[in-house]
Amino acid sequence: MRPLAALLALLVAIPALSRPAWADCPLDLGRATGLVVFSSHYLVAFRAEPLRIEVGEPFSLLVNVCTRTNKPAELVAVDAQMPDHRHGMNYRPTIVSMGDGRFRVDGMIFHMPGRWELNLDVRDGEESERLSHEFMIK
Amino acid sequence: MKRWLFAVVAAVLVAVPAAADELLLWLEDEVQAVAAHGPWPPPVPRDPSNRVAGNAAAARLGEVLFNDPRLSADGQMSCASCHVPGRDWVDGRARGVGRVELDRRTPSLWNVGYGHWFGWDGASDSLWAQSIRPILDPREMAGDASRVAALLRDDKQLACGYARAFGAAPGKDDEALLVDAAKAMAAFQATLVSPRSPFDDFRDALLAGDKAAASRYPVDAQRGLKIFVRVGCANCHFGPRFTNGEFGDVGVPFFTRPGEVDAGRLDGLGKLAASAYNLLGRYNDDPTGRSGLRTRHVQRLHSNFGEFRVPSLRQPGPGPFMHNGQMATLEEVVKHYSEVSPDRLHSDGVPLVRQLGLTPRQSDDMVAFLRTLSVDVPPRPQPGPLCP
Repeated sequence: MRPLAALLALLVAIPALSRPAWADCPLDLGRATGLVVFSSHYLVAFRAEPLRIEVGEPFSLLVNVCTRTNKPAELVAVDAQMPDHRHGMNYRPTIVSMGDGRFRVDGMIFHMPGRWELNLDVRDGEESERLSHEFMIK
Repeated sequence: MKRWLFAVVAAVLVAVPAAADELLLWLEDEVQAVAAHGPWPPPVPRDPSNRVAGNAAAARLGEVLFNDPRLSADGQMSCASCHVPGRDWVDGRARGVGRVELDRRTPSLWNVGYGHWFGWDGASDSLWAQSIRPILDPREMAGDASRVAALLRDDKQLACGYARAFGAAPGKDDEALLVDAAKAMAAFQATLVSPRSPFDDFRDALLAGDKAAASRYPVDAQRGLKIFVRVGCANCHFGPRFTNGEFGDVGVPFFTRPGEVDAGRLDGLGKLAASAYNLLGRYNDDPTGRSGLRTRHVQRLHSNFGEFRVPSLRQPGPGPFMHNGQMATLEEVVKHYSEVSPDRLHSDGVPLVRQLGLTPRQSDDMVAFLRTLSVDVPPRPQPGPLCP
């Protein structure tokens, strides 16, 4: 199911990828899989490490942040919440820049099964923008 | 004669209706939900922060220390005084009793080796750190590092057991020996895995499509399990241990006595940060540092006030229940969730704990299901000599 979701996300992203700067955005995060979220200005590719997110088990995120103008962008914050229950994670993740728009996020734990919304705050200037993705964790 | 015999047989049949095996209809999503609570038992993870985790000699030393009252200041109290072997590792009291009555119930030690937070407030991030706490707590064993270290050095059996477990004679550093004693006790406690239960047999039979075996699971427990799945108990009582290992406020009063509250997880996180024995400290044996990840990232939130660790539902002992022993029986626990006041829980989303409004029969079914997570366990024999 999850690979299918990733494929669909990539298919949706293809028109966006055809724009010149985004075409160079590295979507391969090392395991031939990944998820993509984008807006009119940003494209963010990411995957979990390990790939399968288990309830209550720590995981990391590998994130590539690209912009349409091909300017360097920053991942400024990562958080997640369960919209149905209106609570977030019990853990505060940390972000390490790996250079060239690549980031590693450690300390993620989804401590309950159900719908989680991942929020990625990115910025290449004064204002940041939030891109989100939903996971269903069983 | 025949008429008399027929009457007797008929009377018996009426008086004792046959417990006919019955399998309810289980939908695919229900089967998947039940499957998530097994298989049992999973392998016990080896704690990388404890260099003697999984070491049989350390577990033997740990069991001897666990039962040794000389670790306490007055020589009267051991770990086993409250965590009673053969009694599901609890004392049967609403609140534990050390040198004084405590604020919380003694939790069972079954399956403690699978956890990542320890104590009702999660003030410890390893089983060995948690094992130090009651030894030093002046309300409990009121011991100290020098007393434990002297025992390990001077008692020939303990010194021999230490050498077998750690590969060297006890050293001169008292605090390091206290930590080693706790690591041996953790190695022992990690071996306490609860036996398979009737629920596990049902779960495995259901998954295997073995209707005959599955139908041997009592039908009232099947109905109770369906309720458990439908109302979302597994949001917190998740997975094979029936706990996600985290913390929640389920509407049990905070007050320990008039004017005094137990802040639960909020205080626990403060104690964790202040502890010299947490996984970010020098006693963590894990060279990678990865075992300290939860401790490094955990957040202290206002919402942690009044939260307590979600207990496992496996083999919890005969009661009382909840963190403060407020409920004497499983029937009272189910009644609590059936009638809990939404005003008390302050939830602004879909509440994780809500008034279930169970009928008397549904409550009985829930209790019947919960009872199938336990079995009678034979008394544990006293540990033998460490170095015969």
